[in-house]
Amino acid sequence: MQSVFVRHRWEPYLWILPSVLLMLIFVIFPIGIVFRLAFSSISRAGVVGDFAGLQNFREAVSSAAFPQVMLNTFWWVLSVVGLSTLIGFICAMVLNRPFFGRKIARSIMVFPWAASLVIQASVWNYIIKMEYGNLNNILLNLGWIQDAVNWRSSYQIEFVWECFVGIVVTIPFVTFTVLSGLQSIEDAYYEAATVDGAGFWVTLRHVTLPLVKPSLTVSTVLNIIYVFNSFPIIYTITKGTPANKTDTIVTYLYMLAFYDQKKGPATALSVIGFLILCVVSGVYMFMTMQREESVV
Amino acid sequence: MKKQTVILTFVSLVMVCVLFFLPVLTFTSQLYTKRSPNTFVGDEKYQQARAEAEEVLKTYEDEGIRGTLDEEVIERVNSKGVTTSLVVFTIRSDRTRTFFDLLKAGLPGSFLLGLLLVFLLCAWIMTWTAGVCDKEKAKRILGTAAAGLALAAMFLVPAVFQSLNLTLSRQVDLFLGNRGTVLSETRLARLDAFLFEGQAGDKLRDMLGALAYTVSPFLFLFLLPGFMTLCAAAGESGRQIRKMLLRILLYVSVIFFSIFILYPFFVMFITAFRSNAETTDMYFLSILPQKWMFSNLKDTLDRGVLRYLINSLCIAGGATCISMLCGIPAAYAMARMDFRGRKAYLGFVIMSQMFSPVVLLVGISRLMNTLHLNDTLPGLMFINAAFNQAFAIWLLRGTFVSISSEMEQAACIDGCSVAGALVRILLPMAAPGIVTTLIFVFINSWNEYTVSTVLISTQTKRPITVGITQFSSFNMIEWQYLFTAALLATVPVVILFMLIEKHLAAGLTAGGVKG
Repeated sequence: MQSVFVRHRWEPYLWILPSVLLMLIFVIFPIGIVFRLAFSSISRAGVVGDFAGLQNFREAVSSAAFPQVMLNTFWWVLSVVGLSTLIGFICAMVLNRPFFGRKIARSIMVFPWAASLVIQASVWNYIIKMEYGNLNNILLNLGWIQDAVNWRSSYQIEFVWECFVGIVVTIPFVTFTVLSGLQSIEDAYYEAATVDGAGFWVTLRHVTLPLVKPSLTVSTVLNIIYVFNSFPIIYTITKGTPANKTDTIVTYLYMLAFYDQKKGPATALSVIGFLILCVVSGVYMFMTMQREESVV
Repeated sequence: MKKQTVILTFVSLVMVCVLFFLPVLTFTSQLYTKRSPNTFVGDEKYQQARAEAEEVLKTYEDEGIRGTLDEEVIERVNSKGVTTSLVVFTIRSDRTRTFFDLLKAGLPGSFLLGLLLVFLLCAWIMTWTAGVCDKEKAKRILGTAAAGLALAAMFLVPAVFQSLNLTLSRQVDLFLGNRGTVLSETRLARLDAFLFEGQAGDKLRDMLGALAYTVSPFLFLFLLPGFMTLCAAAGESGRQIRKMLLRILLYVSVIFFSIFILYPFFVMFITAFRSNAETTDMYFLSILPQKWMFSNLKDTLDRGVLRYLINSLCIAGGATCISMLCGIPAAYAMARMDFRGRKAYLGFVIMSQMFSPVVLLVGISRLMNTLHLNDTLPGLMFINAAFNQAFAIWLLRGTFVSISSEMEQAACIDGCSVAGALVRILLPMAAPGIVTTLIFVFINSWNEYTVSTVLISTQTKRPITVGITQFSSFNMIEWQYLFTAALLATVPVVILFMLIEKHLAAGLTAGGVKG
């Protein structure tokens, strides 16, 4: 620890006070409110009543849409995180080699990360429209198809599209975090591997992967959190229709809370989602803190 | 010759042969349709129409053209509650063709297909020659040439696909439309020979009338033998060539991936400048706008988007200021001071990344009601600042830790206060990291959508991300305005992001890795 001189014991607390206050009011309070609501009965007008035990949870879990929503959330997180990590890793490997135009390629890679999710989701929503969507337009122009193809003929396919958009917008995050990990690897490791006669795959498995593992874990766990909480893509493309069949937990609870005015079950779902994420982040924090321990 | 060369070339040879003689091109021509209204299956009218259709089928069959008779029954209940029924009889002639047939027919598209074949053939022969050759130099030259040919063959595959599609559609369309083109007799005969084994004769025009044809994506399987040949050739030609090939592969994949990434942004750009009619009409639509409607920009700004942009700027700017004012001291304390609870707070900061505002929306909207910040810009500023605190502290702390504290310690000994040391010494040194954090928080707040939809109800207070949804009402979406507004919202953010991209990624992981 490289410390500066602190004159009073309470001084550090003064320094972190604004940040603590900000977090306390705008992050901790809402959490408290959500937890309180989840265990209270709430009228449709939003008046909070008595303690209701697990009534809201029962209502949320027993609704017809719940199993499908959970399943969707599972597939959504698994496919988006899994595939974007894989593709992002490959992209990072490519961008880590020197080649002409690498700077341009890196700049292009930034686009999906920087642009707002609503906007990108709207664009993809337009692209895959059957009647006038751009995908059909281009394929017709190229002569690759003779007739407009309905790219969203069923809700399963629409959900796959949503996952696809999710993957596209998540790739850059993985790419850049892994890339920064790759760039911190010293050339000496690779030179040693080459001297030992290791081929591409051996080097990848025994040199590159262990060394980028820290950045890969950070990016994967953060990704799980972001993707789980991702709202605009599904909300823009299908709004969860038909009948909540393409909803994930987050969009479903939004609909429950602000369209159906069922604040009770919605907050219960929040708590459920919250607990799921707690487990994931707990593991993550455990790992980061462990690393912290070894370095500080 | 190397063993792998033999295997690779042999397998690709077999694959090409199989591909050539597989019936992969399908054509469906509709020879006859008869719509018989007010007809129920089995009644007199039905029998009559069916007999008629069978008659026609027979005349075709007499000429040696196979066809199948289909009937489709469409039943509907009209407003009076009476069931009506429509029976449609169609005679279809389905046929499949192989690439070999295509080559034999000598239609224009098959020229490229032939070329592809010749290239592959030459590549194989050269690879084998290189394999048995003893001289190092000759080996290299032959191998290189073979690799080049195989590569050229691979590039020909999409060209063949394109050419076949266009040739067929154009020829048939022009022939049917009589648009001033005279298809020579020989070409017509070839078309006839290819599609109908020369049996259509005078009926060709009728039979082409409803021709549906698909050039099967199987064509792209030709890439596989091409690639195998390439590998074989590369194996015979030495290290340098292999390196060069890898390079080419790298560039091709980078270019394709870049196009893929940029595609939605390209769509956004071109659609933003289309006219309204163009955005909702697919047929005969050119890829680029027929007339660039730059007036869309002005229209969008006039319709409230300027207001939204200013709102977004205020929200993002305010959020960034608050976030930095709270974050810098906290990060400083965590990087430079030792106190109880430091680790706990750091742990909390890491944890807080999982508190997405979306999950807490109900709580946030209630809190804002009590604080009277509902439907106000400051409310959004605070929320954005709070939910970006984790990032801000994370990135800033990482930057501060990476800078040695010696200078500050010296300043403190000289009588400078801790705050003075921070402002005069650390902040200037940490400028790149601070700018990165600043921009990152700014962009996150600029792009925020979910909380704003819930908190903001007054139209003039909307940020741009919410504002663009005004162009998509339930029954009509004004895509061109939506995308012009989206363009205006995206361009500054992307440019800002490009500036910080390098520091950002390092910062995000460095915080976690270096501690």
